[in-house]
Amino acid sequence: MVVTYARRHGLQPLGVGIGLRRSFYEELPRTERALDWVEIIPENFLSLGGRPQRALDACRERWPVLPHGVGLDIGGPDALDVDYVTGLAALVKRVDAPFFSDHLCYSRLGGVYLHDLLPLPFTEAVVEHVVPRVREVVARVGRPFLLENPSYYANMPGGTLSEADFLRHVVEEADCGLLLDVNNVYVNARNHGYDARAFMDALPLERVAQIHLAGHTIYPDVIIDTHGDRVCDDVWSLYRYVLDRTGPVSTLIEWDQDIPSMEAVLDEADLARAALREGAGR
Amino acid sequence: MKPSLKHFFDSMGTYLARPGGESLEELYTAHPEWRAPSSRVSLYGDFVRGHVRSALEKLFPMLRGAVGAEAWNALVEDYTLTRPARHHEVNHMGEGFPAFVADGVSSRGLPPHAPALARFEWSDFAVFSSQAESPERVERLTPNPTLLVLEQPYRICAYVRAKGAVVVPQAGDELALLWRHPAHLVTYYQEATPHALLVLKMAVEGLSASDVAVATGMPEADILGAVARLSRDGLVLSPDA
Repeated sequence: MVVTYARRHGLQPLGVGIGLRRSFYEELPRTERALDWVEIIPENFLSLGGRPQRALDACRERWPVLPHGVGLDIGGPDALDVDYVTGLAALVKRVDAPFFSDHLCYSRLGGVYLHDLLPLPFTEAVVEHVVPRVREVVARVGRPFLLENPSYYANMPGGTLSEADFLRHVVEEADCGLLLDVNNVYVNARNHGYDARAFMDALPLERVAQIHLAGHTIYPDVIIDTHGDRVCDDVWSLYRYVLDRTGPVSTLIEWDQDIPSMEAVLDEADLARAALREGAGR
Repeated sequence: MKPSLKHFFDSMGTYLARPGGESLEELYTAHPEWRAPSSRVSLYGDFVRGHVRSALEKLFPMLRGAVGAEAWNALVEDYTLTRPARHHEVNHMGEGFPAFVADGVSSRGLPPHAPALARFEWSDFAVFSSQAESPERVERLTPNPTLLVLEQPYRICAYVRAKGAVVVPQAGDELALLWRHPAHLVTYYQEATPHALLVLKMAVEGLSASDVAVATGMPEADILGAVARLSRDGLVLSPDA
């Protein structure tokens, strides 16, 4: 029997969460709707005082809080930003997060933050570069860590591995968890012409400890992972497909652009919760 | 790091520092075997540049309106080339923008009040997001720890308060006070009136209303009234709050 990453670290499925975004700072801590946990982008809480902190404290009183970063730069050429990682470790401890996560990408070059999740070449050289950095982050923060499969619109030059093999090598050699963004799988599969289910079958699903669901925007020649819409039917279908293989997994509804009312985001969370329950019943 | 990976980052760094047709061609020249469609690769240049623009447009909405679309676009493009994002939090890239605006007033033909307005808008954000936390209770009258004082050659407070009803701010020295309200957690601002300065002095020096009344000849009731009003506004923190 395969021992999952979650089981090995004592991580329980938490149900369905939504992101604590600025427009929800006042409303979210008071909601009476069903909500199982809250995701935060740590960059919004590490150096900004005032309203973000009050909202975070209020949420922390009610729900588990999971930090999901965008600025770790795990794949970049610059040394890890020690101030950032130190602050992140303090934040993870402050909210007592069972685990934390970021993206398998780079986001800083020559000391300049690019504020984007830029894709890496799928190569052994990148695996060798990323693995010790993941281990260093885990050692500094002291909690289980998940890496997310990012969306990408172009294969970077020099690739020698398939995307699934690349992800597998990194998470297995670094011994971290996988945050499976199902919308990213869908967007990548459509943009690069591969089969999403076959791709997920090739992943180390026993390492999946969180799932992300989001909307995207379709343009004539590319689909962009905007997090700006409802989850589409095809992504819901992929979500059910992966749940059948993983069992219940903590799931986030991500909505970061054209953010609607909080009620609309919670409606999406209700759908995910129903799918989780259906999956558990199968 | 393997040389091939360093080469990749170096080439992307060159492209992302100045995204455009020419730098995209150079990027492909650096990777002759690369077959990814250039329309897809250039998305990343657009994204990175777009993050600077969207942060500035969120932080400086009044300045954007005051300088006009053409001057604003030039400011954003040129500021982007300075690679201002040196902090993991995206809004921090706006910190150097007021000085950048000030440097370009004459060469770019910007309105003379643009630097003061930029500084005010940045200060508004800096106060809003200040990490200085107001204590829940104080033992004595205390200045709001987020207070920021701006000395400027235009009446920017009245201009901002008018919300577009005034085309340009009146020239004239102004001491602007900005602080975050301890309960509402939004930025408050006002011109430094004699009453506001007096109440701040009382808070800093620990003066009582009766002492001030004796020293200045002002009615004590007026002083207490000013303290109460400015405590409600959060400029000072009162033990009675």
